[in-house]
Amino acid sequence: MVSRRAFVGAGAALAGVAAWSKTSAMSLPDAPIMEDASTQPPLAPSAGPDYNPVVTPNGWTLPFRMNNGWKEFHLIAEPVEREMGEGMTAYLWGYNGQSPGPTIECVEGDKVRIFVTNRLPEHTTIHWHGMLLPCGMDGVGGLTQPHIKSGKTFVYEFVMQKSGTFMYHPHADEMLQMAMGMMGSFVVHPKDPTFMPVDRDFVFLLSAYDIDPGTYVPRVMEMTDFNMWTMNTRVFPNIDPLPIGLNERARVRVGNLTMTNHPIHMHGYDFSVTCTDGGWVRPEARWPEVTIDIPVGAMRAFEFDAHVPGDWALHCHKSHHTMNAMGHDVPTFIGVDKTSVAKKIRQLQPDYMPMGTKGMADMGEMSMPIPDNTIPMMTGWGQFGPLEMGGMFTVVKVREDLAKGDYSDPGEYEHPPGTVAYEWTGELPMAAKAPDAPVKTGSLEQKSATPAKASDHSGH
Amino acid sequence: MALLLKRVAVVTLPLLVSGCVSADGGFEPQFGFDRVSQETTAKLGKETVWIQDRNASGHVRSRVRSLVQNKTISADTAVQVALLNNRGLQAAYAEVGIATSDLWQEGLGVNPRIGITASRLGVARTIEGVISANIVSLITRERRLDAAAAKVAEAQLGSVEKTLAVAAEARTAWIEAASAWEQVAYLNRAKASADAAAELASKLGGTGAMTKADQAREQVLYAELTGRTAEARLAARLAKERLVRVMGVYGQELDFEVPNTLPNLPRNVRTRNDIEAEALRNRVDLRLAKIELEALATSYGLTKATRYVSDLELGAGLEVEQEITENEDGSTSKKDVTSGIVELAFEIPIFDSGQARLRKAEFGYMRAANLLAEKAVNVRSEARSAYQAYRSSYDIARHYRSSVLPLRKLIEDEGLLTYNGMITNTFDLLTDTRERINSTTQSLNAKRAFWLAEAGLTSAIYGGGETPSGSGAMVADAGGDE
Ligand SMILES: [Cu+2]
Repeated sequence: MVSRRAFVGAGAALAGVAAWSKTSAMSLPDAPIMEDASTQPPLAPSAGPDYNPVVTPNGWTLPFRMNNGWKEFHLIAEPVEREMGEGMTAYLWGYNGQSPGPTIECVEGDKVRIFVTNRLPEHTTIHWHGMLLPCGMDGVGGLTQPHIKSGKTFVYEFVMQKSGTFMYHPHADEMLQMAMGMMGSFVVHPKDPTFMPVDRDFVFLLSAYDIDPGTYVPRVMEMTDFNMWTMNTRVFPNIDPLPIGLNERARVRVGNLTMTNHPIHMHGYDFSVTCTDGGWVRPEARWPEVTIDIPVGAMRAFEFDAHVPGDWALHCHKSHHTMNAMGHDVPTFIGVDKTSVAKKIRQLQPDYMPMGTKGMADMGEMSMPIPDNTIPMMTGWGQFGPLEMGGMFTVVKVREDLAKGDYSDPGEYEHPPGTVAYEWTGELPMAAKAPDAPVKTGSLEQKSATPAKASDHSGH
Repeated sequence: MALLLKRVAVVTLPLLVSGCVSADGGFEPQFGFDRVSQETTAKLGKETVWIQDRNASGHVRSRVRSLVQNKTISADTAVQVALLNNRGLQAAYAEVGIATSDLWQEGLGVNPRIGITASRLGVARTIEGVISANIVSLITRERRLDAAAAKVAEAQLGSVEKTLAVAAEARTAWIEAASAWEQVAYLNRAKASADAAAELASKLGGTGAMTKADQAREQVLYAELTGRTAEARLAARLAKERLVRVMGVYGQELDFEVPNTLPNLPRNVRTRNDIEAEALRNRVDLRLAKIELEALATSYGLTKATRYVSDLELGAGLEVEQEITENEDGSTSKKDVTSGIVELAFEIPIFDSGQARLRKAEFGYMRAANLLAEKAVNVRSEARSAYQAYRSSYDIARHYRSSVLPLRKLIEDEGLLTYNGMITNTFDLLTDTRERINSTTQSLNAKRAFWLAEAGLTSAIYGGGETPSGSGAMVADAGGDE
């Protein structure tokens, strides 16, 4: 979780970049590199029309410079080491030191020039997903432009024709490059600052990886069976929360660049879907939701007024997407008495712990050693116990005393007395009960496993 | 070729023995045997006597009992007990006694007492070799004598080889038995892992989480391993019985154990580049064959050995050898050879054909000489093979120990971690464990191969291995009537 101190540090780190952008001349704009996977504070515009900047949880925003009326950005496509969570680093491809790449922000009507330098071992391009632009700027390698070879820098120039939420990602060796983590968010603010204003504006991308426990590089040929389901290439319990002041209006923009849909569910509120990557949804076309399904290759933004304080879960509703690495070939051990088996196994494997006989929750409680560079399947702790979650899970923290623009983690919610579910300790009425039915099991009799006496084995 | 010719006056003998020969070449009354016995007794506190009366018999019996009863015996103890107690060995010694008695009648006061010892590896091997050398020396001294001496020589050859063979067999049997019990122990562990899997499968069947076929798969594995374990146990018992036979023990003496494990690999192995020379110097069968060849020459009337030719040259034929002789007379300086080559050459005496009474005798002699040369070539090869087996089996065993097993351990350890993370399941974990145990048994086999090769080294250098000597008959056939 991000601390206040981390924010101060990160802000100072980027201050130099802002100073530079005012003084530099016609040369290629510098490409700032981010080395931290924690949430960076919103980046207020240094020039041009004003807007309320977005916050990218566990991400950052790319600074720009103005050059003769053009907003200039510099993206570097390169191999990166992304900390997906504490104790787990993935060797990915990304932009400017991280995956996902930095969020690009600008304003409707802006003239934008984006330099793209390729430091990958193979060629790449960038497609500006959802943007209205000249065909030659669409970034489809071979179709609309030559590929950007290794070591080359290309320039994209176009005018922001509409506001909204977009993405960028390669359109060259696309499957592999996206499986390696190449993507970023692109937010275009309305020219009219009074159009759909919010107090807090969050943006994140959903991406999925298949990284074998104990390894670092995604298996890029995997099409369906991913084991790292991420928000901004980060997994619970290390996805930063979304802090929102009480009664503030909040917007959450979610893009999906995985190979499956994600029903994103938020607790405690009903919200309105106000934007897709096609544009803003007219007020009369909106409908209330508590879960919004994000299709593959699509973006959805939803808004709500944060009028109920608390710690509200925000997560994908596919329950296996709120898990970290797990094995799909583990039998169901529910109801299996492992006492005597455990004794036998411990003679060979002294550190063996029987698990799963009551369910899998013991996995969340016992923190047993697991392979290097691996995050437990279900993990995380809250004030009342283990959360038993992973993957695409984070918490919307609505607090009364949160200062404007403060995005640091406000900690655990202090529930008012008498507002938390409690244990009943009084008498229980007798429950009605059906007569016992005979139990039939599929157990195989173990006759064959006992050898003939003559063979002089030591016996059981 | 000329460089390899060398006149050798006396066959090299181990120091212990040559010290027993007086300067004028005559016999000292007790020859070397008492001294060997004394020295080994002082050094190792162990001794083996040729049992010639009831006193000795009782003494040996109580020695054996104290060595084995209620004990877990080492390989050296097994060898020593075998040398003390093996009745076949005593029978061979008795043959020597019979032959010597005959010789005694001829007025030669030779009463050999065979001191044999077994102790720590290496030392014991040396002693076994020394004994052989002693007996051979005795024969060397007597080779000028007549048929009675030849019979003594034959009997002594028999007992020397028998001694070495019994020692080798005891050591081998001990290695096989200890290794077999070690295998049983590891199979029992594999069985335990299969047992756990079988029980877990059956419990999963009970809760309705596993099909009957999958349960049966785990259970049949356990059942098969149980069978394999029983087979291994039987093999171990039979191996121990083989050891019991070599050691010649029965009754209460049977109450001993063989360790459940072979000794660890030594830290390093001896480098023996001179293994061929060692074998040529020490092989009992080879040296005896040579003496017999000389006896044969005598019986043909080829009385004077004029020069020596090495086994390497003899194959080139008689003519080449004669040419060399002529050259040798003209330029003596060319005969000089380095000692290294002398060490590597097995010298065979050549008799001057000019003095042969019969052309037939010369051919007969050369036939025997070539057979001896063939034997020498084989001995060299056997020595090299034994050394290669020793070195390679060491490297192989060490490879299993330091490469294969750590990898298996790593797999198993990582398997436990992935199990902990619910990434793999209990059956995967047990499979990893079982595979480690399988690799361990392979490693045990490699260790066993090393210790057997180590034992084989002794036989290759001193004799008593599986190669039959076969040359004893030659003297009897050819030497009798001439
Ligand atoms: Cu999902």
